[in-house]
Amino acid sequence: MSSSITSASYAPAAPASPWGQRVRQIANVIVQVLALSALWLLAAWMQTRWHVPMPASLLGLLLLTGLLFTGVVKTGWIRQGANWLLSEMLLFFVPAVLAVVNHPELLHSQGWRVCTVIGLSTVAVMVVTAFVVDVVYKFELKLARRRSNRHV
Amino acid sequence: MSDSLLAAFCFVLTIALYYANKRIYDRSLHVILMPLLLTPAILIAIVLLADIPYQDYMADSHWLMWLLGPATIAFALPIYDNRAMVRKHWLSISAGVIAAVITSVVSSVMLARWLGLSVMLQKGLAVRSVTTPFAIEAAKSMGGPADLAAVFVVITGVLGMAIGETVLACLPMIRSRLAHGAIFGAAAHGAGTAKARQIGEVQGVVASLVMMTAGLISVLAAPLIGHLFF
Repeated sequence: MSSSITSASYAPAAPASPWGQRVRQIANVIVQVLALSALWLLAAWMQTRWHVPMPASLLGLLLLTGLLFTGVVKTGWIRQGANWLLSEMLLFFVPAVLAVVNHPELLHSQGWRVCTVIGLSTVAVMVVTAFVVDVVYKFELKLARRRSNRHV
Repeated sequence: MSDSLLAAFCFVLTIALYYANKRIYDRSLHVILMPLLLTPAILIAIVLLADIPYQDYMADSHWLMWLLGPATIAFALPIYDNRAMVRKHWLSISAGVIAAVITSVVSSVMLARWLGLSVMLQKGLAVRSVTTPFAIEAAKSMGGPADLAAVFVVITGVLGMAIGETVLACLPMIRSRLAHGAIFGAAAHGAGTAKARQIGEVQGVVASLVMMTAGLISVLAAPLIGHLFF
């Protein structure tokens, strides 16, 4: 399933047609998305079966991360499917936004207040995060420097 | 039109609009044309003008939302790919994430109360800065409105993408690429991560790591948040 090995490299006389390659690529994405969906269903089943105190999505994420780190699952098996899911994620929550039609009050009277909260809070989160990460990053650099000095 | 035909039409329309919108946005990169903003706006206009019942719209389109589950699991791949960065900067990333989640929840709830918004809306707003699948989980476990949480997440993403660079321009003393990337992942989840990727590769990776960790922490902390604030 590895995409780095193309049929063309083995049969230079008859290179795969661009259409054939495209079809194979799409088939890979579909199979891998189905595999990731199966893993998600498994995680959901495990979560209800054993009453795991965390959401199924989180359990599935930890499960797959563990499988990747232990080498049970190779990244090539899921890369194309995972990349597709991650890059098209915006499409998946477009229907979620349609929920506004059930809350007409949001479109009218409360809309500006909700947007004020979101806008001010977003700026606050950005400013605080920037300072905290910057300070701890400088601390990390200092630690690393001290560690390398000790070796000298 | 029969109900099932209408549902199928809405499903196809959603996908077609999204891909058409994406093509236009890739050419201009203008905030107004973001697929996250324009596609839902057009769809809402169509649904309201044509008087399409929400249930009919959702009948088929909820399968798109279902894919958010597998998409969450897919985050394991970038975590694994960026394990070197995680090992090197786990301290600054986790410090940033904790600061971001606390700031986000406290400022959202306080501002919402100050402006007199209902408890339901406060709960939905509390978790709006993390990526949708996690925000929905977190909102559910607080007894908040999952559908509205998703809407607030989207608004946050669009706003964060639009103002991130202006905020950074106002903070000239912050120069590390790590901090520059972190603000986008912390404040504006997936949309911010896409923006950070446009600025630079390191910024993009940091943003996605911060986004994922913030999502995890929010889901795990949601019962505590519910207990402390509501």
